[in-house]
Amino acid sequence: MIGRRNVLAGFAAGSAALAAPALVRAQARTTLDVYIDGDTNIQDLWNNLVKPAFERANPGNTFRVTVTRGVGSGNRLIAERALAAMDTKSDPRVDFFEEYDPRHPADSIAKGLWVEFTRDRIAGLANLNPLSADLPQRLPYRGSQVLIAYDGAKVKEAPKSWAELVAWAKRNPGRFTYGRPDRGGSGRNFVVRAVHEANGRDPGLFRADNFDAKLAEERFGRAWEVLRDLHPHTYGQGAYPAGNTPALQLLAQGAVDMIAVWSDQAIQAIGQGVLPPTTKLVQLQDLGLCGGFAYSAIPTNAKNLDMALKLAELSLSTPIQTAIVKEIGGFPGIDWKHLPADLREAYIDIIPLSIPTFPSGEWNNAMNDGWYRSVATNVAR
Amino acid sequence: MTIALGRTRARVRARWAETATGYALVALPLAVLCVLVLMPASVAVVETVIVTGPDGPRLSLDHYTAFFADPFARRNLIYSLIQTAASTATVLAIALAIAVYLRFGTGRAVRVVHALALFPLFVPAIIAAYALIRFLGPNGLFQMLLERVGIGGYASPYLTPLGPFIGFVWEGLPLPVLVLTAGLAQVSDHAIEAARDLGAGGVRIFREILLPQVTRSLLIACSLVFLGIFGSYTIPYMMGPAAPEMMGVFMQRTYDQLQRPQDAQVQAVVSFLVCALVSVAYVRLILKERR
Repeated sequence: MIGRRNVLAGFAAGSAALAAPALVRAQARTTLDVYIDGDTNIQDLWNNLVKPAFERANPGNTFRVTVTRGVGSGNRLIAERALAAMDTKSDPRVDFFEEYDPRHPADSIAKGLWVEFTRDRIAGLANLNPLSADLPQRLPYRGSQVLIAYDGAKVKEAPKSWAELVAWAKRNPGRFTYGRPDRGGSGRNFVVRAVHEANGRDPGLFRADNFDAKLAEERFGRAWEVLRDLHPHTYGQGAYPAGNTPALQLLAQGAVDMIAVWSDQAIQAIGQGVLPPTTKLVQLQDLGLCGGFAYSAIPTNAKNLDMALKLAELSLSTPIQTAIVKEIGGFPGIDWKHLPADLREAYIDIIPLSIPTFPSGEWNNAMNDGWYRSVATNVAR
Repeated sequence: MTIALGRTRARVRARWAETATGYALVALPLAVLCVLVLMPASVAVVETVIVTGPDGPRLSLDHYTAFFADPFARRNLIYSLIQTAASTATVLAIALAIAVYLRFGTGRAVRVVHALALFPLFVPAIIAAYALIRFLGPNGLFQMLLERVGIGGYASPYLTPLGPFIGFVWEGLPLPVLVLTAGLAQVSDHAIEAARDLGAGGVRIFREILLPQVTRSLLIACSLVFLGIFGSYTIPYMMGPAAPEMMGVFMQRTYDQLQRPQDAQVQAVVSFLVCALVSVAYVRLILKERR
């Protein structure tokens, strides 16, 4: 479908093409292509904060943000295009992925499609949060974690452990909920926490490379018992909202008093007044809910590779990292100790000591399917 | 004689030209339909009946046996059928009442009702779903209004099967209202007046004069509404429970979240068969009507 916007963009691009020779004469101007698969908060961060900072630091250079969210498989398609461009030695027309996992397409790392981030290439790489360690082709520049949000005006004592959380939910039937695991990370990581709870609180049991259908059935089976036990006490006796925002909405409307949330979405919602100022956030102390980092990636065949590396460097700079905490409520990609002391103080309660993770792919798919079949159904078993 | 023959020949030629123009006009949409819909659909259908075993691919209905053996999938299908049937019946009943009112009512109220009945046509499903959630949801406007007049104990339909039902009824109204008002417009006033002169009451006029003449419109509306609701995604996804799911939501989740395109194809073909059955019933009734 051709929207009005696209037509306008087409005209704009057309007139820009006509004006281009004049511009080239005036200034050697480079425009990077940055691809973003993230929500509007991330798009705003890049358009309103990163872009001006980049233009100031590198006069004559700028970047153009293209949003792939909700379009086919998003950035995956662009990565596939970049790989195809490498084979045909043509311009991939992408210089920077705001967030991408280079493990797909499967052979792209072996073929050398992705830049390896090393200390001699990127200043500030040594400052990264050690919890974020991953492939050298991935640059963690921001993070977030799932927390428990509750209305402090109604909940006097916040749960500090899984057992306390379940006990609270049972004492207050219908006042707790979490989103469907396949529709947003907040619900997904709550379900993951139940999986961890039922399996000795050992996140290390689940790795991207050790999926086993039989083990999955066994381990998830134990988790379903935990969640089925909680099921009748949740909002609407198991009416799970269809995503991060619908869950936030139930809390905002006062339909529930406690939910699982993404740290960044909750902090932003409180700041915007969507959630009441009495909203409080807490992390479970026996084992935190999962979180993770957003990793940028740069294709080696990027037309403006040097500038793309400069952009990567900028994303780790103190001003941008501070903005990530202040503006979008995210966690920094660099270690908290490299941020201004006052900022560190303000967030001391939710600075994670560990960020458990859970692999995407097979484990995740089996978990989501199992949840629908064994927990969400209201069939008596 | 020669003149008459010449005339006939000219007439034949004209008819032939007319036929050719007709075919030329449908050629393009037909080609698009074949390339973009029928071809991929038949490829998908073929793929679902081929099972690749250790000794190569073979024809088999294993995928379908698996679908119908799975209580979860069966429950989703049954839920979709019940939800669609209930919503369709309700939509048609309300639409018929509105259409009759629009046909015989007088005054400004008619125009207001007409506009209100058609209004959902211009509201995208996602906006309607959000609006209904805000209105009918927990602590929403409707609950507050009820509490204002002293009615407590409101249980929100949001995230229950009743949620999408309300959404479907609201979203589904305009189309059958349009079709049925067009159908009722063809009923002549004379017939009704004649019946009235012979002493027929309102109910009898409705049953014996109006209903037989709008059966066709009713069938058209019924199939349109049924197909629209059965294949819907946005409203059941946003307003309905996590489980059971409508087939559209189930399919999307299987394809996108579980990354099992083949299972999604099987679900799609099953849904298609349900819709095809409805279409066949509709076409046969229309043909019978013509004869």
